[in-house]
Amino acid sequence: MVLKIFFPQCCNRADSGLLVGRWVPGFDSVVVLAVIHYPFIPGQVKKYLSEMQSAIQLELTVLGSWSMPKDGQEGMDSFLKDLSTIFPQGRWLQLSRELGKRGFACDDEKEKVIFIHYDQRKVMLSHLHPAHGQEPAAEGVSELRLVFQTVAQSQPLFFLDKYDDGPIKLTHWQSEGREASILVELIKQASVPMCLVLTWLLSLWTQLRILNMWPVRFVSSKLSTCVQLSHRTEHLQTISSPRRAQQHADFMRKANIFVSFLVDIALGLLLISWLYRENRIGRLANTLVPVADHVAKELQELLQWLMGAPAGLKMNRALDQVLGRFFLYHIHLWISYIHLLSPFIEMILWYVGLSACLGLTFALSVVSDIVALLTFHIYCFYVYGARIYCLKIYGLSSLWRLFRGKKWNVLRQRVDSCSYDLDQLFIGTLLFTILLFLLPTTALYYLVFTLLRLGVVLLQGFIHLMIDIINSFPLFAGGLRLFRPYRLAEGVKFKVLCEEPGMSLHLMMEINPLKLSTAVQQYRIPTYSCYPKDSWAALCKKLFVGDLIYPWTPLHKGSKED
Amino acid sequence: MLNVTKLNRKRKKTDNATWRESGAPHWLKSDKDKGRRHGGAGRLRTLPTASVGAMGADGGSEAAPATPWRKVLYERQPFPDNYVDSRFLEELRRNVGVRRYRYCAVAREAGLVAQQVSCVAAVLTLWSYMAQGRLSPFMLLGASLLCALLGYVLYEALGGPRGSERTRWADLQSAAIFLAFTFGFSPILKTLTESVSTDTVYAMSAVMLLAHLVSFPYAQPSPPGSLSLNAALFGSVCLASRLPGALHAFAMLTCALLVFALWPCLLHRLRNRAPWTFPWAAVLLSLAAVTGLATLSLGGALLLVLALLALTLLCPLLLLRLQRHKDNIHGPWDEAEIHEDLSRFLH
Repeated sequence: MVLKIFFPQCCNRADSGLLVGRWVPGFDSVVVLAVIHYPFIPGQVKKYLSEMQSAIQLELTVLGSWSMPKDGQEGMDSFLKDLSTIFPQGRWLQLSRELGKRGFACDDEKEKVIFIHYDQRKVMLSHLHPAHGQEPAAEGVSELRLVFQTVAQSQPLFFLDKYDDGPIKLTHWQSEGREASILVELIKQASVPMCLVLTWLLSLWTQLRILNMWPVRFVSSKLSTCVQLSHRTEHLQTISSPRRAQQHADFMRKANIFVSFLVDIALGLLLISWLYRENRIGRLANTLVPVADHVAKELQELLQWLMGAPAGLKMNRALDQVLGRFFLYHIHLWISYIHLLSPFIEMILWYVGLSACLGLTFALSVVSDIVALLTFHIYCFYVYGARIYCLKIYGLSSLWRLFRGKKWNVLRQRVDSCSYDLDQLFIGTLLFTILLFLLPTTALYYLVFTLLRLGVVLLQGFIHLMIDIINSFPLFAGGLRLFRPYRLAEGVKFKVLCEEPGMSLHLMMEINPLKLSTAVQQYRIPTYSCYPKDSWAALCKKLFVGDLIYPWTPLHKGSKED
Repeated sequence: MLNVTKLNRKRKKTDNATWRESGAPHWLKSDKDKGRRHGGAGRLRTLPTASVGAMGADGGSEAAPATPWRKVLYERQPFPDNYVDSRFLEELRRNVGVRRYRYCAVAREAGLVAQQVSCVAAVLTLWSYMAQGRLSPFMLLGASLLCALLGYVLYEALGGPRGSERTRWADLQSAAIFLAFTFGFSPILKTLTESVSTDTVYAMSAVMLLAHLVSFPYAQPSPPGSLSLNAALFGSVCLASRLPGALHAFAMLTCALLVFALWPCLLHRLRNRAPWTFPWAAVLLSLAAVTGLATLSLGGALLLVLALLALTLLCPLLLLRLQRHKDNIHGPWDEAEIHEDLSRFLH
């Protein structure tokens, strides 16, 4: 069997002393965490180790001795051998290195030894992700994972540096002195009270009873601004919880939300600074009413065209006139409403534009809502046309069965023959004839309004897609992968450092970072939008039959459309 | 009368002979007929060598065994596998259930079809008159209502099982519903086919009326068949939408309803209660239709007369003549038919 010794690179040039670390349970390997130098008192060493063990919750032991003799320090070998009697343990490693030579020697004749050098700081900071395709919960306890866990959990061991005047002198990656910056310390101190304040404010907001009443809830579920607001509130609640994140996934999620929130607000402030200069709001307000007028005029012209002989099709004149006049009246009402609002639009826009300081996503949601409100009449027309068409199709299919003398058996879900009464037959045939001849007219109106509605929904869908991307993209994880790739590890790779015959094999362990696409996919922030459940075939069938297609509303359980 | 019956009996005998002689295949002729006349289903017969020679592989080499061939598979018999006994297909019966038609009866029943055709022709004539403006809708409406009333009185006078389904009140309700709906929808109906070209309308009506004639339940006209009534009404709605006014459409539809929906019920009752009136009614109707059509176009009237004559006189003759070519075979392989009255199991 081969013994694997994980040796930190920082201890390559350490003075002689004791090796402190952990035997990896279940595997034939050992992780060296630090070297305790001479002079030391064994009792104090043992006390320190037991303190560390209770702090870290790992089985820290003295592994063996490390000797790198400098000038005037010969004759240590026998001293080192005697040490094994002082610190009782299972195995005692005796590693030695000579100045000028590259390789180590391990005085253990029983088995072969492989030295694996690792960068202690990087391994301590990195998180090993499960292999591609593996479930995170089903990860087995592998040797590598144990090694990473050992180093990551031994952080308290690395607090003693060479400037501490204690009885024990250690060498590890931080023994040259810990770095700290005042800003970071200040932020850390200030973050706790800020979190508390934020939590209190959020609890006030969520406790507002008025928001739970039915009309407000209904309206707020339709407006995407309110949905975005509630989504962000949830995010803030996640960030501002005063407990530290224990799991790596929680920490990443918090960090991602925080960073994307900051970026969102920054972009929003940028938008505000651009929008409120040079009276752009005023100009926007001045173009809004003419745009609405233009849309209404186009619709009126469309209806006039339909009321004539559109595309050479011959429509039933009476029905045509009725439907056309009905829709024209609606447009007239809508235009009056817009004109009524026109003096206030600039002020409304000014105040609404301020909400972009909450983030770019808010600005986009407001745009989407404005589009929805401006095209509300198209939505109404679509609903009317779809309902009439749906009724007609339903009536026709039922009356066609009556025509042939059959009936739909609801219990058996099939078509059965049926003997009808005389009056049923008469009225049924009359209605069937009427519906059949009025079908082309209704179908044309339905087609036109459905196309218009689909256009508006596409536009809104595009805006929502933008919002979704900004909401869910994990910027922190992406940045971490780009600038500190060792923190997201997928695996390790080994490089041969020194392979001399007669000496042990020395390998260098380097961290393999996670692929960028995998990192982004894994750390995506979940958002509220659902993806369309209907396939294209089901959508076409719904369109043909006249079922209503609902737009991009998040809380709706019905069908969605891209 | 006596002569007629003698004639019928003679015809029966000759008919039998004709069928038997023409029907039997050549290889079953001689022995089979004898066997049938003597009822030889269960008799033991020795094996005639002539029949074996006609079909067996080794003709004449087999000596006649003592035991005759039996129609069982569970016993080993001393016959070859492809042995065909002389009793093969002796249970075959030809044309057992064939009815012998009488010309008069068939002609009488064909009168129903002719009558229906003339109904359609009458409706078309009335429509044509209204379209040309020679008939005012009020007159047609009045006449239809009067006829409906008369027909109802006649229906009640003929009596018969009323049943608990329909009371007079229900009938009145139905009539009110018909009139109200038709009157209410008549403005819509008038403009229904404005945008459809005349040729299409005529073609659709023709197809629908033809479908009505084809799918009419001639055997049992009283509950009107769905498809036939619907097709007739669809065709008449198409035609009514071509008339100049809403009232015209209303009158036309009332008339069509009367002729296609209510008249067959009355006719059925007439046939059941007073069968002697039925031919007179049919003849009267045909004459009325022909004369009506004649005032519009002589060619049409001529065509109608020819069609009616063909239907009533020619087609029954054809049916009778073709009966001689009937060749149904029956035997013990037929599906079982239940002749008992099983309704006693219902109670």
